[in-house]
Amino acid sequence: MTQNLRIALMLAPAVLVIGLLFGGALVVALLRSLDTGDAGFSLAAYARVLANPDFLPSFALTFHIAFTSTILSAAFGVGAALLIRGSGAGRGAMTFLFQLNLTVPHVVGAIGMLYLFSQSGSFARLGHAIGLIERPADFPALVFDPHAIGIILHYVWKEVPFIGTIVLAQMQAIGPDHEASARSLGASRWQAFRHVLLPLILPGLLGASAISFAFAFGAYEIPAILGASHPQALPVLAWRSYTATDLATRPDALAMTVVIALLSGLMLGAYLRAARRRG
Amino acid sequence: MIRDPWWFRALRGFAAGALILWLILPLVPLVIWSFARGWRYPDLLPQNWSLQAWEVALSGRSGVLESLWVTGLIAVLATALAVLIGVPAGRALGLHRFPGKAAVEALILAPLIVPGIAVALGLHAVFLDLGLTNTLAGVVLVHLIPTLPYMILVMAGIFANYDPEIEEQARSLGASPLAIFRFVTLPAVLPGIVVGALFAFLVSWSQYVLTLVIGGGRVLTLPLVLFNFATSGRNDIAGAISILYVAPGLVVLILTSRHLAARPAFAAGVR
Amino acid sequence: MNKRTTLALLASALFAAPLGARADTSDGASLIGQNWEAVVAAARGGTVNWFMWGGADNINAYVTGYIGGVLKERYDITLNQVPLTDTAEAVNLTLGEQKSGNADEGAVDMIWINGENFRTMKQGKLVFCGYTSTLPNNALINWNNPAISNDFGVPVEGCEVPWSRAQFAFARDSATLSDPPRSIPALLDWIRANPGQFTYPAPPDFNGAAFVRHVFYFAAGGHGALLGPFDAAKFDVAAAKTWAILNEIEPYLWREGVTYPTSITQLNELFANTEVALTFDYDPAQFGIAVDAGRFPATVRSYGLTDGTLANTNYTLIPFNSPNKAAAMVLQNLLLSPAAQLEKARPTVWGTVPAIEMDRTPADVQAEFAGLPSHPSVVPAAELAPLALPELQAGWISAIEKGWIENVGR
Repeated sequence: MTQNLRIALMLAPAVLVIGLLFGGALVVALLRSLDTGDAGFSLAAYARVLANPDFLPSFALTFHIAFTSTILSAAFGVGAALLIRGSGAGRGAMTFLFQLNLTVPHVVGAIGMLYLFSQSGSFARLGHAIGLIERPADFPALVFDPHAIGIILHYVWKEVPFIGTIVLAQMQAIGPDHEASARSLGASRWQAFRHVLLPLILPGLLGASAISFAFAFGAYEIPAILGASHPQALPVLAWRSYTATDLATRPDALAMTVVIALLSGLMLGAYLRAARRRG
Repeated sequence: MIRDPWWFRALRGFAAGALILWLILPLVPLVIWSFARGWRYPDLLPQNWSLQAWEVALSGRSGVLESLWVTGLIAVLATALAVLIGVPAGRALGLHRFPGKAAVEALILAPLIVPGIAVALGLHAVFLDLGLTNTLAGVVLVHLIPTLPYMILVMAGIFANYDPEIEEQARSLGASPLAIFRFVTLPAVLPGIVVGALFAFLVSWSQYVLTLVIGGGRVLTLPLVLFNFATSGRNDIAGAISILYVAPGLVVLILTSRHLAARPAFAAGVR
Repeated sequence: MNKRTTLALLASALFAAPLGARADTSDGASLIGQNWEAVVAAARGGTVNWFMWGGADNINAYVTGYIGGVLKERYDITLNQVPLTDTAEAVNLTLGEQKSGNADEGAVDMIWINGENFRTMKQGKLVFCGYTSTLPNNALINWNNPAISNDFGVPVEGCEVPWSRAQFAFARDSATLSDPPRSIPALLDWIRANPGQFTYPAPPDFNGAAFVRHVFYFAAGGHGALLGPFDAAKFDVAAAKTWAILNEIEPYLWREGVTYPTSITQLNELFANTEVALTFDYDPAQFGIAVDAGRFPATVRSYGLTDGTLANTNYTLIPFNSPNKAAAMVLQNLLLSPAAQLEKARPTVWGTVPAIEMDRTPADVQAEFAGLPSHPSVVPAAELAPLALPELQAGWISAIEKGWIENVGR
């Protein structure tokens, strides 16, 4: 058996599964979004989606959620990895909790965040107990709010361990020697990090951040639990549009998902290219 | 050796404490709720305690235990398939260079980059025609989409650090391909398979939207049951279910904490 | 069994044909007019997939526990309750199946439904109709009552079977608010005087949409002119006033109306935690249930409005392509049975108003029903009934919903 044939056979199942299921889903979504039933193919659904006054605010909100939470998670994730790598005290506990957090499903985290941060949640009750606030309305609106603060807090809670674990693994693979030599040459702690360590962990950091961004952009259950009624996150808008009784709106819902796939692909491509150029 | 200033060490200690607290915090009200009988503002702790939420959650009629079983079954099946498909694919990507490799890599990673909702609706249309909606098999298949890339990513990293020379030597000594696989390849890559399988299992275990869309509410996994209870006002049962949902991961973690320490091989596989 | 039921059975026995116990009873036509014993035999050992709103745990408990239990013990039928956030999901599912040509293997065997969703299904020929007189307990229903024989203005015509009756009511904590506003204009004034203390779930939530309809009736100066088919001219006039009212009070709502709760469950959470002072529900029995579960304080009291509140009936129907029609019919018959309706009327279980005429049930059931304690937090149905407002036809309902989303929700 030739080398190339053997490689093709090893790859075939994976390529088939992902190609048919994932690729097929996107292709079918594209085709059905163009299909207007009897009138043949047209871009009418896309025109309707882009003209839909709910679409752009939803897109802007979803981008904000994904972008802000990813930036924060990346920063805190790297910080947490540095903490775990360096310190002696609490290191075991932090590592254990990181790994525990990875096993906690998003749904559980979102519900927990709701109980913590709603205006009548645990923090609000704490505030009331120590006399800081009197009524629930005095507590800042962190969930069901237009800035999606609660949603971002949840994603940060979940993605810091994710990004942190990957970055930590990279740091341990790289080892302390590079920084040590930089510091022995007189570099400050910050300089050693910024110019020596960061470029080395950047590939892993970017990859993990890209995955976090994509997840935050496309997840349904977290904004369904913590989000405001308007504007809704894009996945919520798309799902509610798809399950509306009027089947005529289904091409619109599918057009929405194709636009989401296209836009997220473009955004991620731009983000990765820009980061690579700078790094 | 440079000694850190005292304030730096204090700051570091404070940060560590804050991180630990932050990681535990959202789970606390869930635990408290599971033992509460009504817990209204402004009470810091419930005024009435009760085990009723646990009784309901563990009873047959609430469907919680059944969905726990279904969730586990789906995750095991999806992970097994991911291992069978992902190990050879990871070997191909990690060991070899071939025309079109970049395209294959892009395809493999695409499911991680494209948001789930974009795939789910199109997939529903496909599965509806194939008759796979509302079936367990359909849900297992669909779980492959987010799990397979992780598996392949990990295995590609493992195989990138793997030297096939050993296999050559074994073959030259007369070992059969099966023996080579069993005694040479497998032991070398097994740690990677374990890590990849764990990741795959976790992704399937916590999957929500794909199960919702393809399972159509007929394949009830634990996240769906939890979501339903939480959005129907039963915070106490939601708390109990949350603990049941997190418990298996906690137990596995405690039992295998040694093997889960960050692996350099895994890091090498991540771009 | 009373005379009517016996006669009905005898009449249907004339058409009796032996029916072997089959797992697939998708052929509805063959079940119509069957001897009831034959229907039960065909259903035995089968399954029913009942798609219903799952947002109230006590209802889920009654359905899966009591109903599911009796169904299993007495008829060896397995009940699979599928909880939904929105009944439209089940309608949508059936619609999709019809479009792909699935005529006898539907995923849905029964839907808890009324209003627009029923109209969509009936107009789309998605419903199994004409069988209701085959159900022995059909005789307990007073089909002469237009509020039962019409579902939001759409004639039922044997396509669905009632389950419960409901009338919209408000609730407040009498310990903190002893004298609540008892009419829509009084409520609007109260909202302005007490900013941040009121909100309502955003349509298309069922209860939120009902609240908006109350304001719509007020804006139209009463419901008299609105009954009957949808009239665009009348709608535009009343709608303009309604959106003006709702937009004007928006800054005085919870969170200044920047966001609304997305479900009645969320509104109840806000109410329970004193974020808002008032809540409401089509099903006032839910207030009693919430108090008993510890979710609401025991001082919660519910009340109607002096200008009336909406009353309606809710039903169950069988989709055209259900493969388990016999089992679904047995389930429907069970739901209508005096024992099941009595159990449902208990305040500790649900406390909702029966859809059957209790004076057609056996004497012991009637006595027990009359003796049911009323929950202090639940306003008695008899008190609300004189102020019952009829529902509008579905055309109005969807227009109001759409109008709210476009004019107020944004």
